[in-house]
Amino acid sequence: MSVTYLEAIREAQFEALRSDPNVFVYGQDIGQFGGAFKATKGLAREFPGRVLDAPISEDAMVGMAVGAAVEGARPIVEMQFADFSSVGFNQIVNQAATLYWRTNTPCPITIRLPSGGTAGSGPFHSQSMESIYAHYPGLVILTPATVEDAYWMLLDSVKLDDPVIFCEHKFLYYHLKAESFGEHSLPIGKARVARPGRHATVVTYSAMVHEALRAADELQMEGYQIEVVDLRSVKPMDTDTILGSVARTGRLLVVGESFPWGGVSAEVISRVSTEAFHMLDAPPMRLNSKDTPIPYHPNLWKAHRPTVGSICDALRRLLRF
Amino acid sequence: MTPAVPITCTKADLTPDFRDQYLATYRQMQSSRVLEEKLGSLYRAGGRIVGGVYLGRGQEAFSASVAMQLRRGQDVYAPLIRDQAGRMAFGEPITDALRTYMGAATGPMRGRDGNIHRGRPQEGEMAMISHLGAMVSVVAGALFAKRLRGTIADAVGATSIGDGATSTGSFHEAINMAAVEKLPIIISVANNQFAYSTSNDRQFACEDLIYRARGYGVAGWKVDGTDLAACLKVARSAVAAARAGGGPQLIVGTMLRLGGHGEHDDAAYIPDEVKFSKVGQDCLLVAEKFMIAEGWATKAEIDAWLKEARATVDQAVSLVSKEPIPDPYRESWQALSSSELVESWQL
Amino acid sequence: MPTIPILMPQLGESIAEATVVRILIEPGQRVDPGADIFEVETNKATMAVAAPCGGLVDQVIAKANESYAVGAALGSLHVSDEDAQALGFQNDPKAPIDAAQPANTDSVHFQFSDEDAIHDIQPKVEPIVGGLPVPAGATGASFISPRMRARMLELGINSSDLAGVAGTGAGGRVTVDDFETFLRTIEQHRMTPASPMRIAVADSMRRSWSRPLATVGSPVVLDAILAHRKKADPKPGPALYAIRALALALAENTAVAGRLIGSRIVHPRAIDIGFAVEVDDGVLVPVLREVDKTPLSTMVKTYNTLVEQARSRRLPNDVNRPGIATVTNFGTFGIVWATPIPLPEQNLVLGLGAGMKTPHWSAEVNQFIPLTMAELTLSFDHRILDGGGAGRLLSRVAELLQSPEKL
Repeated sequence: MSVTYLEAIREAQFEALRSDPNVFVYGQDIGQFGGAFKATKGLAREFPGRVLDAPISEDAMVGMAVGAAVEGARPIVEMQFADFSSVGFNQIVNQAATLYWRTNTPCPITIRLPSGGTAGSGPFHSQSMESIYAHYPGLVILTPATVEDAYWMLLDSVKLDDPVIFCEHKFLYYHLKAESFGEHSLPIGKARVARPGRHATVVTYSAMVHEALRAADELQMEGYQIEVVDLRSVKPMDTDTILGSVARTGRLLVVGESFPWGGVSAEVISRVSTEAFHMLDAPPMRLNSKDTPIPYHPNLWKAHRPTVGSICDALRRLLRF
Repeated sequence: MTPAVPITCTKADLTPDFRDQYLATYRQMQSSRVLEEKLGSLYRAGGRIVGGVYLGRGQEAFSASVAMQLRRGQDVYAPLIRDQAGRMAFGEPITDALRTYMGAATGPMRGRDGNIHRGRPQEGEMAMISHLGAMVSVVAGALFAKRLRGTIADAVGATSIGDGATSTGSFHEAINMAAVEKLPIIISVANNQFAYSTSNDRQFACEDLIYRARGYGVAGWKVDGTDLAACLKVARSAVAAARAGGGPQLIVGTMLRLGGHGEHDDAAYIPDEVKFSKVGQDCLLVAEKFMIAEGWATKAEIDAWLKEARATVDQAVSLVSKEPIPDPYRESWQALSSSELVESWQL
Repeated sequence: MPTIPILMPQLGESIAEATVVRILIEPGQRVDPGADIFEVETNKATMAVAAPCGGLVDQVIAKANESYAVGAALGSLHVSDEDAQALGFQNDPKAPIDAAQPANTDSVHFQFSDEDAIHDIQPKVEPIVGGLPVPAGATGASFISPRMRARMLELGINSSDLAGVAGTGAGGRVTVDDFETFLRTIEQHRMTPASPMRIAVADSMRRSWSRPLATVGSPVVLDAILAHRKKADPKPGPALYAIRALALALAENTAVAGRLIGSRIVHPRAIDIGFAVEVDDGVLVPVLREVDKTPLSTMVKTYNTLVEQARSRRLPNDVNRPGIATVTNFGTFGIVWATPIPLPEQNLVLGLGAGMKTPHWSAEVNQFIPLTMAELTLSFDHRILDGGGAGRLLSRVAELLQSPEKL
């Protein structure tokens, strides 16, 4: 018996709806149809009136969630694709993210973003938005890489009194399996060392954790032990765990699927360069997607995003320095 | 399309109950005008008010009429830029306005936000963000949650918007969504002829904004925004319809913004023929004339109310002027309510 | 069954790499723990590499007669889980991706195809690899990474202290691992603390050595000085003659005692000359002020006092203010020739070798006559002074020493 990452998302929402009557789910095609990816399959039937189809109005969906949160509800908003959250951007960064700071009113909303690339999805169904939301104060940005994290972090998100951007990776939906949802282990805001090593650290998150682990396998055959840190939460960022790892290895590669300019990888490198310059044996490196929209054809797409091969190449360069 | 005819009052509408609400509303309008004049002079004097001052002169009747129908504690209200009168009618204390304008640490915004960007969301008064149209869906959400949690009873929500903001996608998405959900929301559109400096003919092409109600599948009400009696009649009807399960209500009031977008703007772009037309009347003067004509109040009584309003405002200004301004060293600098998630390394 | 690499072991202190001379295994062969699997040669010895544990040989990467750095993979072994764990290799990340078939495909927005199993496909286009380009100068043995520098700082160790450590890093760079190995090695030796004087001299010399230094030498006849000294009262030491002669020579051209700072020569403000005095475990350099303006006879007393004060380590503070050049009389140790190092803030050091009776052919009397000769040396910063200029300065000093009565 095994469970997928997608089932974790679905089950976490089931559990949230079951345990708290203030929780409701709002999004396009999520009711009777069960969502574009089936992340809410059957939930509308089990929780009548609490899993509702929304008009194609990302701005209004988020604004509505904020108003509901003020009134004591704990909404989960499903964006059909992370890419479309740009239409609701204003409500996310200016309404939801500022509410607590401006008015001392908590804003417990969870916005689920089916993120990241899959072959053939093209420029508008493949984006990773964590960096752009992380730029704004007042938001918590979660990027689970495992089935366990998908389940427990989503439950934590709903319980949190702050707006959460929950970046769930579409590639992991069906491909990532585990025996069970496991135990609730790490709290939000803590990173995990996914694999210990001593020659270089790869800091990454979401689907890229798995690419990095495979790259570490490959480099083990060349005599290198690569440490992989799964950030889990890109904001808040667990700087201590990152610095601890860099102190062990002296070398840092940050891998992210999002666009290269600025962003989470730049933030990690900035912190390490400032706080741990004296722990470095080589200039910290990063590997992101290319600085173009995300291409449609699989050949182009695979070259656009970081892969096991390009992570290995980057690591070899880093280790050679 | 036939021109939409504004709803007006007849003698039959002027019941004693109506008269009492009229007088109460007038006094809110008058207080609002007094406070705003004070804010304008404090701004021109320089010093305690930083940033701009944005006044609702000319819109008091339309703004206050809707808010007078709301019950603080049950209903939800999201005022916009020119709703000082509505805020007062909803029960916002004068000190909230002064403390926010003066950035006092004691106010609801504690120096973190200023002027019209204020509110107490937990008491049903939403604090507007500057992005126009964005508050409509927030009010809809609050009503949605009341319905979900079974606390809605006959509660309603009201929000204001201007002619300019009806052009935003946010407004369109929200009113459509509220209509789909059949939420008891009153959206009052104050068509004050200009969005900052842009006149109606560069803002929308439909003959009258009231026609949009039909497109969204919501009830529509058109009213002369300078006529307090008509405004009250419409507000009472629209709010009652929403309370009775009639879904969203769109009220369009016409009036002229009697001033600039803010006190920095002399509004030289408003032509004289508009200023001196019927739409450019001052709703306070219209109401004053009406009350005297109806025998509801004497000039002396109105002057006495004015004196009282001025004393109240002066007292509040003197109180707030002595209050502490925010201290950057005591500011928490935390944007999250979960303080365990605030990254301490950068503080 | 996990696969682990066979690594080039650390074959001894200061060994960074070794050449594989014989390969004793082939893929598929079973090896016992500790069995010899490679024979390698370092610049010191030939030795065997043993299997880290028992297992089945997976691949042999190393080729005969090629050199491999310590830590490089020579091949790989299929081993048991316990052995892999014991040797510190982890396999199989948690939560593996099942790339074979999606688990749930009912009516989803996007069907995932096998194309999604991207892992076996190499990108056809070079990926963007961010980060800094590697500067050419940063890859060599002289580069010290911030981490390495921090560790050295922590232990108060200088890069020159590591001159004897072979680096295994890129371009022969000493890595933190090399450094830690080195530290463990020296722990086995007897260690005594260096005196503060020793540390100060070391610091001064290390700083000075960062410049291109050169030395020229020339013989000088000492008989005139010796004759002058015999009559003098009080008697100046031989070094004092040299100090005065150097001061007079420098007064004629102060530029040669200047320091090059950026694109300008900084001239001395006064001709103050120091002289080296050997003390316990080090050297002190007291300074005589404005030597060009002070006749030899009036300096003798001050000189003698300073020597005494230096030997008893009681020099007053103001004499420690550095001069513009130093004279060292290494002849007192019987040394004939040396290349002393100038102080870091100075450009010149004049050395005086031991005087020796030497037969000298005299054309006047047409026979060998005995003269007392010594070697004068001048070490200088070649950035400021060239061989010719240094030679002329040295000749001028030698010339002045022939007329001690004028000193």
